[in-house]
Amino acid sequence: MTGYTSAHLGQAVKPYHSTDGYTLRKVTNIVMLTITGLLTALALVPLFWIIGYVIYKGGQYISLDFFAQMPRPLGVVGGGVLHAIEGTLILTFLGGIFAIPPGILAAIYAAYRPNTPLGTAVRFGTDVLSGVPSIVIGLFGYALIVKNQGHYSALAGGIALAIIMFPTIVRTTEEMIKLVPQSLREGSLALGAPEWKTTVSVVLPAAANGIVTGILLGLARAFGETAPLLFTALGNENYEIGKIIHSGIASHQGLLVIFNRIFEQPVDSLPLTLWKYAQQPYPERINQAWATALVLMVIILVINIVARVWVYYRTSHLQGK
Amino acid sequence: MSDNKPTKPLEVQPSFQSDPAQPPTTILAGEEAKVNIRDFSFYYGKFKALGNITLTVPANKITAIIGPSGCGKSTLLRSLNRMNDLVPNTHIEGEIFLGGQNIYAPGVDIVDVRRRTGMVFQRPNPFPKSIYDNVAYGPRLYGVHRRTELDAIVERSLEQAALWDEVNDKLNQSGMALSGGQQQRLCIARALAVQPEIILMDEPASALDPVATLKIEELMQDLKSTYTIVIVTHNMQQAARVSDYTAFLMIDSPQTRIGTLVEYGATTQIFTNPKHKQTEDYVTGRFG
Repeated sequence: MTGYTSAHLGQAVKPYHSTDGYTLRKVTNIVMLTITGLLTALALVPLFWIIGYVIYKGGQYISLDFFAQMPRPLGVVGGGVLHAIEGTLILTFLGGIFAIPPGILAAIYAAYRPNTPLGTAVRFGTDVLSGVPSIVIGLFGYALIVKNQGHYSALAGGIALAIIMFPTIVRTTEEMIKLVPQSLREGSLALGAPEWKTTVSVVLPAAANGIVTGILLGLARAFGETAPLLFTALGNENYEIGKIIHSGIASHQGLLVIFNRIFEQPVDSLPLTLWKYAQQPYPERINQAWATALVLMVIILVINIVARVWVYYRTSHLQGK
Repeated sequence: MSDNKPTKPLEVQPSFQSDPAQPPTTILAGEEAKVNIRDFSFYYGKFKALGNITLTVPANKITAIIGPSGCGKSTLLRSLNRMNDLVPNTHIEGEIFLGGQNIYAPGVDIVDVRRRTGMVFQRPNPFPKSIYDNVAYGPRLYGVHRRTELDAIVERSLEQAALWDEVNDKLNQSGMALSGGQQQRLCIARALAVQPEIILMDEPASALDPVATLKIEELMQDLKSTYTIVIVTHNMQQAARVSDYTAFLMIDSPQTRIGTLVEYGATTQIFTNPKHKQTEDYVTGRFG
């Protein structure tokens, strides 16, 4: 491209060579790449440091027994965190039950009617809710449920966790519904399907992968929450579902009573156990705290990675045909 | 064409004012009318997109709606099955009769209207389900659940859409794994499965390659003996090849931009002996 004449101006512009200033541009490029690379590495350092250190400290104490046994009395060697694992499962299960259906329904409303008062309220409300400190949510659960029931319970803890999961689920589901192309909706409506049937049979299945991701990410967040459980689930070193069910069957208790004993007792969770053990002066408990940290971290990492990889895998086939 | 001289493109877009003394042909002699559009106007908010359209669509024929971009062809087509109801803040004047019933009358069942009017869109839009479930979606909506009945409907619809031979051994594969032309035929089969009275096609082949386009055009010829077809196309050669009747729409002026019906008649007449100069200019390619 040598010499350029502009027809409108009628005068020649100075000839331009693409090699002008090449060295300077090249050097700037290298410097900026190095700086951004270094800073990126710096930002990743804490993550890998934490992962590495927890693996190192917790790995020393991890064993199969750790997962399968109930805690031993203080000062006695051995024992595990089965009670915390079961407690965590029950709490996330309850959290899911209370958060997922309302979350998906609220997201559908916000996606379909974004400019109405209720639609705006849903979006704004969930944004605000996601910023509320989790301990405040725990206090809310305490005031609402624990005080009225008169005792701590897994149910109260589950509801507190549901409030924490709710914004994530709503936001992700809403985004995923909006990603479903309008043409799909129109195809269904043109066949005579009413709006609700179109949503249930076409839109939600098309958005399903994204919705599942939102749920998994919400679950991952709930897994790691400690503060809201302090005043709701409290903790319970004797919680073991198998024992509850067996003793219930043995003494011929009704199904309702057994459910009561599973959901209406205080329970422990992994982060809660970690917090309690880390504060105690016994080396046994300290070791177990590290091992619990490792378990917790691995579970959350796995959920996050699986969720994101799976969605990437499934949506790339939907779009890039 | 009236003359074979190469035509110069027009520098200024023509405008059209309908002459009350010479209304466009709306009632076609000797044809049974399937759709009766009477003095129909369409508004997006305050903007009048279609102005006082009156025409009748004959049964078991292919009617093409042609015109330059932005003249309201798709709006008119989508008014026939009330798909424009999805757009907020629109209203209409006039009436559209489908088989004798005004589809815009208060209290009309939209689901029924949409069942009787099948629609095929510009870009194929199969559902992310299996081929079988795509075609069976419509019948299932209307209460057909028995496997044997559904099997028969799916096979018949796919045969009518000239797709059965190609997919009968892979009905459980995703509908989105087909080629573009096959997807569009799948969408046609899906529309046929509910046995509509009239099929509306919005530029059905514009996203397809020429071979697939030809298949779709052949398909339309086969279908017209059973169904009434209305097709919007910006491809004039396609309109000339495929349709029996053609309606030419145009905006009346660049200021008001109301879509107006300029001329409507048999395709051969529109393309060889148009009554209005604007029609002749458009079909000879001088603007558009």
